[in-house]
Amino acid sequence: MKLTTLEGMQSEIFVPVTPKPVFTELKKPINECKVAFITAGGIHKKSQTPFNTSGDFSYRTIEFDTPSSELMVTHGGFDNSDINKDVNAMFPIDRLHELLKEGFIGSLPKETYTFMGGGGNVEKFSNETGPEIAKKLAAQGVDIVLCTGGCGTCHRSATIITRCCEAEGMSCVVIAALPPIARQQGAPRITAPHVPIGSNAGEPNNIPMQTAILKESLEWIRDCPSYNGLKILPYEYRHNV
Amino acid sequence: MSITQETLKNHLKDPAIFCCRREKGAVIGAADLEDPGLFEDMIDAGLLTLSDDALTIEQVLGSTLLTNVEALTPITRDVLDKVNQVETALKATALVKDEKDSEQIMASNTYVGGTGMIHVNIDKLEGLSLDIPVGAALGGSMQVPAPVQENKGEKHVIRKLIKKHIKIVDAEIGKKTSIKDGKITIDGSIVKKAAEEDPLCVSLKLDVIKPEERHLYTETIMDVCPIATKIEGELGEGITKVADGVVFMLTGVDEDGVQVHEFGSSEGFLDEKMYFGHPGCADENDIIIRCHAVIKRLSGMTRPGPFAAHKCQDYIIQAVRNELKQYEGEVIKEEICEDVRRKGNPRVVLVKEIMGQGAMHDNVLCPTEPCGILGGQKNVDCGNVPIILTPNQVRDGSIHALTCIGPATKEMTRHYIREPLVEGLAMDEELDLIGVVCIGSPQVNDEKLWVSERLGSLLEGLDIDGCIITTEGFGNNHIDFIQHIGQAGKRGIPVVGVSFCAYQGQLVVGNEYATAMIEENMDQGGFENNVAGCSCVTKEVAVRAIQMLKNKMAGVEVLPAPKKWSNDVINKNNKLLGLPETKLLDNGTLH
Repeated sequence: MKLTTLEGMQSEIFVPVTPKPVFTELKKPINECKVAFITAGGIHKKSQTPFNTSGDFSYRTIEFDTPSSELMVTHGGFDNSDINKDVNAMFPIDRLHELLKEGFIGSLPKETYTFMGGGGNVEKFSNETGPEIAKKLAAQGVDIVLCTGGCGTCHRSATIITRCCEAEGMSCVVIAALPPIARQQGAPRITAPHVPIGSNAGEPNNIPMQTAILKESLEWIRDCPSYNGLKILPYEYRHNV
Repeated sequence: MSITQETLKNHLKDPAIFCCRREKGAVIGAADLEDPGLFEDMIDAGLLTLSDDALTIEQVLGSTLLTNVEALTPITRDVLDKVNQVETALKATALVKDEKDSEQIMASNTYVGGTGMIHVNIDKLEGLSLDIPVGAALGGSMQVPAPVQENKGEKHVIRKLIKKHIKIVDAEIGKKTSIKDGKITIDGSIVKKAAEEDPLCVSLKLDVIKPEERHLYTETIMDVCPIATKIEGELGEGITKVADGVVFMLTGVDEDGVQVHEFGSSEGFLDEKMYFGHPGCADENDIIIRCHAVIKRLSGMTRPGPFAAHKCQDYIIQAVRNELKQYEGEVIKEEICEDVRRKGNPRVVLVKEIMGQGAMHDNVLCPTEPCGILGGQKNVDCGNVPIILTPNQVRDGSIHALTCIGPATKEMTRHYIREPLVEGLAMDEELDLIGVVCIGSPQVNDEKLWVSERLGSLLEGLDIDGCIITTEGFGNNHIDFIQHIGQAGKRGIPVVGVSFCAYQGQLVVGNEYATAMIEENMDQGGFENNVAGCSCVTKEVAVRAIQMLKNKMAGVEVLPAPKKWSNDVINKNNKLLGLPETKLLDNGTLH
């Protein structure tokens, strides 16, 4: 065997490094906490400008009293049919109101922020969008931030924003359909139900599953011993596209 | 991240660093420690500082923490109840070994056994040189065996495919579908029948765009599809006719006017929205037959919607294929494609990660007609498992892309029928290309790992010496991509990865085997720039990847990538290979 070789070639793509740890311990019981939910999954109000699906570092403001029927998705990274059926599959706003009524959480902030993390510009999200969202949530007295990714680069963007919130003194968890990305990108805490991208918060219209994922993610915020801790959640949903 | 027992064994002498915060009372094991393979990167990133008093992994295993210690902190004597005494014992062993080494032991024993075989047993051998005459035997007569045919990589042709490129000079939408004197005419009323092929297709429209008329508005480009048809044999063998100088281009919106696109949309002026001349695109002088589909509202980002558009367009293309079968026009090129074996050369495979997550993330494999739909199986329905094709099957249009991802990074149907890596590997006389493995990228993390493990077993079973793995798009599919590289890497198979990453698509995960990587980006800012076919496998990408694989297989070092995307690195490689410079397209993309 004879192979023509060439000295001096260099690999052209670098492999990422897990960033510095960031971790804010939860100091209150969950039922006294103000809980926000953000998402990188491209959710917005039907009346708002849709996201640019090839990359968009802007965000939308969603009041927590917005009816779920007024929300929709604009995202190019996954099959949208689950969110079209039930927006709670990505952004479980109805479940959060139920948890509030039940007394599982203390309160919800007036508004939250959503973005489309697919293809997210790392520097823009790290230095502009992330700190801005974190400041707005902190100003509302938020204690806990829950976050869903969406597609692959969404998980990267979701993790970046979540890290900004953690650094602002809130305790956060990424509910990840793609846990390897959340881990590598340095999410403070991660829960991972067995779900496809596009229904990151649980099967559409499956209220018990969505509720359980939310509750166990909240409990993981309380119980996770240290930075980057991952908990696999025992809920499985297969989307037969 | 914590490490496995296996990693632990390889790093006993490396510094022990906690991967996560650990509380007082914890007994240290593999799960508590950071992977020493990452230290260099972490030090570079300012995340880690090693100290002189840091203990090694073997010194701390099983010890108990006396105080809480933060992540990425070196473990030192003062935080532990005990430190394992390992150095002395190891030195002693090493000494014994040295003594043994210093003795020149040579014990040999030669005898003729009951089977008539000569048995030579040498415990340790040094400096022996033997010359035994051919035909002579120690201890008796023996038969001279027939000389073994040495495999030197001679070409053995398994099957042949002839692609006849038929000259087409004009096209129009008219009354009756026909091809005459190099002109394709398509019956304008066919769109009605074609749209009835799928209930999700609301309407279809056809028009012809000449090369000089490209500054016109187009809806998002869903696909570019050649017109090719079988004359003799199955896909991958026999004779295929390909219309030269003309392609179909599928565009689409839904009933509300929403573009049928995924990760970015390419609607706009056609001359600005396609990278003409790239493998998946129309060439500079191609006539484009545009088929515009309107599909049911809200079906664009689901699996059946875009498929309906492809299926209905295929009905029209089939009508043209049927005419092409009969048409005896000028053959401007006869392309001979061969599936060959070159035994004795390094066995390699090309792994193409294709999309398999629904919506447009799907591909039709092995249809009846080249680049067709009918008769094929969808990659998603096959469970995304690895499927091996012969190079000729790929070159004969076995993959119809339902083309997901961003316009710039998707591989369209035309890409596969002339994939530069398939061409490059198949033609390379130093290699033995065993096949092309198509593997889908599922949407569930567990499934990604599952299909990747299947690929690992396949690669092992094929007993290959090297492989190139490509993926289209970026983001979640990079999980699979890196897993695939790991499946090859952990089996000791040299592997080269090829992808668009650059700035926007920078890898979201990585592993220690992703050390020989080729970048496809051709955008100035390193973004998905919505120009169809811009950042894909080109001829230059293929040449760099094949050379890098040869280096890896021959043990020639591939220098590590810098910590940031840089087109200079790509151009340095281009220069070494005598390739033209990779010029980046600046269309102002920043998002």
